[in-house]
Amino acid sequence: MKIFISGGCKNGKSSFAQDIAKKLAGNSKLYYFATMIPRDDEDRLRIKKHIQNRDGMGFETIEVGKDIASCLDKVDKEATFLLDSVTALLQNEMYSPDFENYIDPNAIERTKNSLLLFVKTVKNAVFVSDYIYSDALTFEASTEAYRAGLAKLDKMLARECDTVIEVCAGNVILHKGVLE
Amino acid sequence: MNLIIGGAYQGKLDYAKNKFSLSDAQIFHCTDNLDIDFNFICINHIENFVLYCIKNNLNALEIFRANKPLWQDSILISNDIFCGVVPISAESRAWREATGHLLAYLSQEAETVTRIFCGLEQKLK
Repeated sequence: MKIFISGGCKNGKSSFAQDIAKKLAGNSKLYYFATMIPRDDEDRLRIKKHIQNRDGMGFETIEVGKDIASCLDKVDKEATFLLDSVTALLQNEMYSPDFENYIDPNAIERTKNSLLLFVKTVKNAVFVSDYIYSDALTFEASTEAYRAGLAKLDKMLARECDTVIEVCAGNVILHKGVLE
Repeated sequence: MNLIIGGAYQGKLDYAKNKFSLSDAQIFHCTDNLDIDFNFICINHIENFVLYCIKNNLNALEIFRANKPLWQDSILISNDIFCGVVPISAESRAWREATGHLLAYLSQEAETVTRIFCGLEQKLK
């Protein structure tokens, strides 16, 4: 079973997603994708805290900042995977820390293809994304390209997943499928 | 009238085209420097027409009220730009509020209201 979760910021998506992933896995293997690529000591400290938070929950961490499908030959495909978040994944693919203001023009299509291969190959997965589409602001071109790109990934995942959930202030709106 | 709302890039127009078998020639795309044309069966980006009104000192809600016979059988599409952070610029704040008020009115008048979330339809009315 594959589940796609989106919604506004700080709504409880992540802890909800962790609970669902645990239930989905039962006694079988549970993977967590660490999508954050650390850039300084502050990032490294944050990652350390995240790892401590997940400690004892039974997650095995996979460090994949880019190209999610690249892990497929190293993992148990019958396991359950938690990807939190699609937002961070696309950010890693589109923006390079080495080149300020540089955006890789092929990043969106490449990320979409890699995610599609991944979602079609594994048995159980939970994807977390962020709903960043309802502002009364005109963004600069690169941010607008990022929003359009993330929407492309979201729509593909919503199509491919069995269940689609929006978390709104801790409440669950079921858009597709069932939630066991 | 059928109202379709949702965030940017969620697939609202694709949904409308499919659902109501619309051709591109039947769709009017509002911009912030163009007056609205109610002769089209489908009017897209209503929120941009609201911005046009703000920039030209017009009241979008009053214009819609006055022209109800022209759009009461139409398909109207708008971004829900009023859910995010309150913008710093006065114009964007006015735009956000006016769009919220207009869509509340249009929701009342609509036979159906559909929200599109990541390409999926959610029936609100």
